[in-house]
Amino acid sequence: MSSFNPYTQNGGTILAIAGADFSVVAGDTRQSEGYNIQTRYAPKVFRLTDRAVLAVNGFAADGNMFVKKVKQRLEWYRHAHAKDMPLRSIARLIQTMLYSRRFFPYYVYNILGGIEEDGSGAVYSFDPVGSYERETCRAAGPAQSLLQPFLDNQIYFKNQQPAPGMSHPTHLPLQAVLALVIDSFTSATERHIEVGDGLEMYIILGKGRGLQGLEGVKGVQELTISEDGERIFVVRRELKKD
Amino acid sequence: MFLTRSEYDRGVNTFSPEGRLFQVEYAIEAIKLGSTTVGVRTNEGVVLAVEKRVQSPLLESSSIEKIMEIDTHLGCAMSGLTADARMMIDHARVTAQNHAFTYDERIKVESVTQAVCDLALRFGESVHDEEALMSRPFGVALLIAGIDELGPQLYHTDPSGTFMRYEAKAIGSGSEAAQSELQDKWYRRMSLLEAQKLTLRVLKQVMEEKLDHHNVQLAQVTPEKGFEILDEVRLKEIIDAM
Amino acid sequence: MDHFPTNWGRPRNDMFDAYGTYPIHQRPDNRPKDTFADSVQRTQQPIVTGTSVLAIKFKDGIMMAADNLASYGSLARFKDVQRLHPVGRYTVIGAGGDMSDFQHIQHILEEVQIAESTQQDGHELGPVEIHEYMSQVMYARRSKLDPLWNSLLIGGFKDGKRFLSYVDLLGTTYSASTLATGFGAYIAQPLLRKAVEGHEDDLTAEQAQNILEYCMRVLFYRDARSLDKYQIATITAEGVNISGSLKLQTSWDFAENIRGYGAQTQ
Repeated sequence: MSSFNPYTQNGGTILAIAGADFSVVAGDTRQSEGYNIQTRYAPKVFRLTDRAVLAVNGFAADGNMFVKKVKQRLEWYRHAHAKDMPLRSIARLIQTMLYSRRFFPYYVYNILGGIEEDGSGAVYSFDPVGSYERETCRAAGPAQSLLQPFLDNQIYFKNQQPAPGMSHPTHLPLQAVLALVIDSFTSATERHIEVGDGLEMYIILGKGRGLQGLEGVKGVQELTISEDGERIFVVRRELKKD
Repeated sequence: MFLTRSEYDRGVNTFSPEGRLFQVEYAIEAIKLGSTTVGVRTNEGVVLAVEKRVQSPLLESSSIEKIMEIDTHLGCAMSGLTADARMMIDHARVTAQNHAFTYDERIKVESVTQAVCDLALRFGESVHDEEALMSRPFGVALLIAGIDELGPQLYHTDPSGTFMRYEAKAIGSGSEAAQSELQDKWYRRMSLLEAQKLTLRVLKQVMEEKLDHHNVQLAQVTPEKGFEILDEVRLKEIIDAM
Repeated sequence: MDHFPTNWGRPRNDMFDAYGTYPIHQRPDNRPKDTFADSVQRTQQPIVTGTSVLAIKFKDGIMMAADNLASYGSLARFKDVQRLHPVGRYTVIGAGGDMSDFQHIQHILEEVQIAESTQQDGHELGPVEIHEYMSQVMYARRSKLDPLWNSLLIGGFKDGKRFLSYVDLLGTTYSASTLATGFGAYIAQPLLRKAVEGHEDDLTAEQAQNILEYCMRVLFYRDARSLDKYQIATITAEGVNISGSLKLQTSWDFAENIRGYGAQTQ
């Protein structure tokens, strides 16, 4: 008799890109198990604060529970220390929370995106037991192998020569980043069965940055709560349902 | 004040009919027997000074430890039953390190002060979900000095578990005279050097023996260098300059 | 006794003492183990089980369907079982999987409701709260490696809002306007999605009942652990209504016209 397996894979893919003074965190909305689509809309990307967004991918039950526990720790911190947790502190906290379950892990690949204390856009990516690193861009989930190489070329300009006398920009503008995110997901949807149905993109803007790059984007919905300065928006798009 | 001793002052946890916890109040009295300790806050940092109270010329004065480091950005000075303070300072150090480990940031001065004060009422009998740490209240008061994102701060803690923030505070046997001297001489735009001179002058006034670099100790917290206890050479320079 | 000829005449493996021929020294005991031997139970297998549960959103609320069968492996053991259970005035919970675990769930939900009502604060548990509570319970049990071996659909109508969600033995949750557990996920879900998606706010109760009945019929034809006797639960602003048992009209005479079916010789 085979024993109970406490884990399963729920598919889907997430992606985050950091700009100079903004961050974008996106994920598809499909939740599947094997060849079954469980639902076409199950969010995987969550607003933690006005300047931090967490995307979770892997085993959805662990992912959803983990987000709840992180939100709870954020609230306890606010009460104890009378301030919002800075982004790098949230990243470190996620590490300690994941590692505390080193011998029965949360089967989740986390990507944290937002605005750092110095106003810069930041992306932190984690493995299921808490190893983490700050990066400019990261894709995770079943379609990681399709997306990450594309991003390495388009964002880090790997294997690309700049025009003579020019150099590659270190950060891309918001408009370009949003286009890359949408193209990444439509491409992944074409070729990966577990990706599709819908796309949700969270955009976090640094203090005083203004809304450049968001003009002309359809269906932008603001989620900002506090008056601190950072602003957070969500944009939804359809993806193919097959 | 305590000429009328009632039958309510023996039980550590018993309220008197007037609503007083005598044991806690008696503990606060014990601090008035301790060596004088002074703290002064300026915009450049916080100064702590203690009277070492060297009881005998055969006593190795450098072994008297009444100012201790909690973290690189935090220190404290004590007055009263200094042995009790070791427990509190150890707790403060562990709390500060746990915070830095979990959140990748320096703990706030107020937060570490609160953590220390959380120990104050853990006396008497244990309750279901909390172990009693000791059979009696602490008999020591602390002056906690530190720097965080809100700037330099000075806090005073006492056996009741209350803490208060001060611009300048004196505790111990000479505290009454010292405190009124501080109130007289302290002003908002004081420099660190002026604060050092003020604390030494105040100690000189209340100390029985003649003040020299063997029977006092000086420490400071600054944004540039963090917490440091001044060595003999620097201390002597400041005393001579007075 | 080894019934498989391919194993006869093969060398004996003394390290796998399948028949416990003790006291031969240094052999491991590989006899099948009795799961109930220790007084502690960890992982399990489901014993008496229910099959698919279906549910859809329609204009006025939620409709849910499940047959009346509890199987004992391949034996159709209990044919009058209710797998749709009302919870308070606003919610219905439908279960597939182990029926004894479902009976336990019914018991703990009863206790939760009593605890809530004794508060007498005017708050009543609705489908959102029941689903959240069950999600936490199911996830906690799976985290102890001692799951309640069920797939649950929780549907309801409260404060003018429809609610329909799923939770299972792993603590996995999801929500959609059409849901189906077990075999239903393969056979009924495509039919339900075609009929309902996009029309949740226009679908009448009659149309909803029709599509559910249609799916139950297809399931009876194709799911070997199903029954042609079922119930439908309807939850609307008027409250919870679980129907009596309904009989499915089926036609099996197609088999006569197909060569090789049944007892045909040619």
